[in-house]
Order: sequence, then C-alpha cells, then structure tokens
Amino acid sequence: MASISSRRLAKELTEIKLEGCPVGIKLVKADDLETWWFTIEVMGDSLYQGEAFTLQFRFDSSYPISAPAVQFVVTDGRQAPIHPHVYSNGHICASILGNEWSPVLSVVAVCVTLQSMLGSCKKKERPVDNDRYVRHAPENPKKTRFHYDDDTV
Amino acid sequence: MKVTVKHWHAVAQWRWDIGNNDTAGNEDDDDGDVCGICRVPFEGCCPSCKMPGDDCPLIWGECTHIFHMHCLLKWIGTAASKQQCPMDRRPWVTAERKV
Repeated sequence: MASISSRRLAKELTEIKLEGCPVGIKLVKADDLETWWFTIEVMGDSLYQGEAFTLQFRFDSSYPISAPAVQFVVTDGRQAPIHPHVYSNGHICASILGNEWSPVLSVVAVCVTLQSMLGSCKKKERPVDNDRYVRHAPENPKKTRFHYDDDTV
Repeated sequence: MKVTVKHWHAVAQWRWDIGNNDTAGNEDDDDGDVCGICRVPFEGCCPSCKMPGDDCPLIWGECTHIFHMHCLLKWIGTAASKQQCPMDRRPWVTAERKV
C-alpha cells in the first residue's frame, strides 16, 4: 500500500519537474521519496547576494500530516547561511517547520518561505545560543523544541 | 418504423456538491477542487481508501474549507494540529450540512 507520503510526494515531484521551481530555487536531487536537496539563492538586493545554499528535506511516512525535517546542508564544502535563525550545523529555527506546520504547505512553499526569510535579513549573525545549541543538538532538527521569539524575520 | 430496444447502458457521473455550481468548463482545472492535504481531487479518494464516494466523504468546516474527511481527521488527530484548520489555522468546527 502506498503511504500517504509517497503519493503526495510523487505529485509534488511531478509538478516540480513539469513546471519548475520558483526563481532562485533549484532541485538538486530527489532520487527517492525520503531525501530531497534544493539550492536556494536570494534574488535581488540582499545580504546573501551571490551565495547559494543547499537545503535538505527528509520526509517520514506521515508527511504531510507531520512536517518534513528541513535543514541546510553543511557537508561537502557547503555552508549554512549566516542568519539569526540558522545554526552553524544547518538547523533552522522557523515556526512553519515546527509548531506552525500545516499539511497544506508543500516542499516548494517551505523553500519560498526560507528564501524570503534570508531575503529580509538585516544583519548576518548566528543565533546568540549557537555554540550551546550545536554542541547538544539532535541529529534531526525536528527533535528540537525551538522557541520562536522573533516574528519579524 | 418500429424500434425495439434490446439493451441499454446507463452512464452516470457524480461530483460532490461543494457549493460552486459552475460545473461547466471547470473540469480541466485540476488545481481547483483537490484536497489541500493529499492533493487528490475531491472526487478521488484519500490515500488510505481504495474507493471514492460515500466511503471516503468530504468534510466541511465552518470556515468554508473542505477536505477529504479522512485526511482532515488524520490531521486533527495529531497534537501538532492544535485542532486548527490547515488553511487558516482557525479552530476547526465541522459545519452542519444538509444533503
């Protein structure tokens, strides 16, 4: 039996391949329905001009009822953007990936949200608790209970 | 001339009455009437079902949003949903619907 996730992900992938991604977002790999990689660039004026970041999505069988595990890739010479909500291990503190996830969101919608999160950044800096978090962070960012304290970015 | 009907095939088509009556020309718009959770057309069934129709009905919220009932219940059954509509995050209240 096809799980709820595989059918929905297959649909999203077909749509991406047919219609392409929004500007600045590219599919890097989606060899299976478990892990997908995208690159994100911020278009126009921003602190991240000329930079491209790799975003990793991991899905479990209950996607989209449960949120995907989304983080920036920090291996193979790739780096996480320097941003107040992005830890140096690639984990992202964004409410839509946690307690504000909704099953009507999609992979592309998440990419676009993170792209605009970078686009509206005023100052390149790591989260204040970066070192402490990274030292003890779980492998899967979904296991972290982030505290969303900043609605402006 | 006399015609004798020897046999006949009845053909029927159905759709959920989701409140918009402009059925004409709307058929190719496959983005329009899909369940926002599973992205399968309302007239199809949710990923857990095999047969569309009465066994896999729709559910209407008072916020006017519509989903496959099974999809919505899966969502509402999780703590993460906070019992909110996936579309507008308002508290989910199932609308009474007279059929």
